[in-house]
Amino acid sequence: MAENELYIEVRDVDFVYPDGTQALTEINLEIRKGEMIALIGQNGSGKTTLSKNLNGLYKPTRGEIIVDGLNSKKGSITQMVRRVGYVFQNPDHQLFNNNCWDEIAYGPRNIQLPEEEVKERVEEAIRVVGLPDSYRQEHPFFLSKGLRQRVAIASILALRPQVIIVDEPTTGQDARQSLEIMDFLKRLNEELDHTVIIITHDMPIVGQYARRVIAMGQGRVMADGPTAEVFTQADVLEQTFLKPPQITQLAQAAGDVGFKAGILTVEEMVQAYENLN
Amino acid sequence: MSKIIEIKDYSWKYINTRNPAIHDINLEIEEGSFIGVIGPNGAGKTTLAYSINGLIPGQYNGVKKGTVNVFGKEVEAYDTGSLQKLVGVVFSDPEAQFTAMTVEDELVFGLENIGLNLAEIQKRLDWVVELTELEPLLEKPPYEISGGQKQRVALAAVLAMMPKILILDEPTSMLDPVSRSRIFKVLARLKEEQNNTVIVIEHSLENLVPLADRMVLISEGTVALDDNTRDFFQKGDLLLDAGIYPPGVIRFFHELHRKGEYSGDYPLTVKGGAKQLRVMKGVRDKDQ
Repeated sequence: MAENELYIEVRDVDFVYPDGTQALTEINLEIRKGEMIALIGQNGSGKTTLSKNLNGLYKPTRGEIIVDGLNSKKGSITQMVRRVGYVFQNPDHQLFNNNCWDEIAYGPRNIQLPEEEVKERVEEAIRVVGLPDSYRQEHPFFLSKGLRQRVAIASILALRPQVIIVDEPTTGQDARQSLEIMDFLKRLNEELDHTVIIITHDMPIVGQYARRVIAMGQGRVMADGPTAEVFTQADVLEQTFLKPPQITQLAQAAGDVGFKAGILTVEEMVQAYENLN
Repeated sequence: MSKIIEIKDYSWKYINTRNPAIHDINLEIEEGSFIGVIGPNGAGKTTLAYSINGLIPGQYNGVKKGTVNVFGKEVEAYDTGSLQKLVGVVFSDPEAQFTAMTVEDELVFGLENIGLNLAEIQKRLDWVVELTELEPLLEKPPYEISGGQKQRVALAAVLAMMPKILILDEPTSMLDPVSRSRIFKVLARLKEEQNNTVIVIEHSLENLVPLADRMVLISEGTVALDDNTRDFFQKGDLLLDAGIYPPGVIRFFHELHRKGEYSGDYPLTVKGGAKQLRVMKGVRDKDQ
């Protein structure tokens, strides 16, 4: 898959809330088409503020964000939401229509697409997220959290943004539900070529799915690189109060047996064990 | 040790649903034990918790079969409120239980309400504040503090009542990793220093496993597996089938076991796992 073309450029960005709280300091990032990125860090480290800057909901106090050649300060909401979609942590903060179909159609209608195209996009989004037909006319609040999240994602997909940011997709979900959601996001990334950014505290999920990790602390980017590389930077992890996945910790604790420090999944660990023989 | 909770052939069906939420439950819990309850969402874990503190059948309409005894007495036989003094529950959304204007008032409210004298109130307040490290927050309004701090206040408020049985229903599912490990730190001290019976319902197994004496898997409304923690996780395939993904260390040793490359108990912690790997590969232990 193409992981090349530069899509978002974040240059020297600071963000200060109206009450004076400085939430982002000197952020510099390049995000390319087709990347699968995990944005990690403690609550209050600036992950959500950064995401809302990336999709133009907030404008940088200082510095610039260029998305597909468009400066976020100059782009209209309509232009920005077609580039970067943001799925809220709690789908209930986003869902407000009386049935799922209208919920998903809301965005495309809002950017005044012809009803014919609205219909086409809604049908496509419903197909992609795998919403069962019987739920189309159902009120979103009668759905399980997993299904509400799919509706929330579908409503963003219908705008066909290149980049999709999903805020804590697995919080409150059990293990199987979490893997289902992540497998779905992986398909969006690999098969449909979306750039996917997940905001998460779930480190095993990061190890298994993300190819790149951006670790934030106190409003700054503390580390940015391939997942295995970030999870081996002990000083950064300590500063950001993050721990690598347990399997990575095992590989690191058994370094003297011959495991390399950047193992990310149980499968890799088994492979590494067998290679020791 | 005596059986503090005895659940026998127990089923509960909410009035407006077709199938029972939980059915054919048999479970005995000994005083002072630390129990982890796990299972997929919708499996019936919360219904089981409500059945032990009397919210079911007290506050819900439904059909009950079998018996739930707490301290040798069936839950329905307790006077209103008296079972709740014995069984404290902490939920994943603590805001629902806050009523006071400051954290300190929140902690004291329940104690005044059960008519304790000032000296006893002060003693319990000092104890929970120290245990949960809430000193810096006592003057703050509960709605102005972070999610992790709220959860520590909720836990402290329940602990101050000194319930013999403490049930935590997904206490950390909405928290970040640092806040999560602080809650488990409190639970570890509680286990060390007190003789409460603690039941923790959780998805996050990494923190739970080192503390739990025993694990119970609830799947499709009934007890699918119930064993001491070490033996429980030896049943890796059964857990994976039920949609439970044990922590990485256990899953790694389970994979080796399935491939015929490991026999014996699975280590439960990173440290234990590394130690086992050294033994298997004949590397001298640096800790020795």
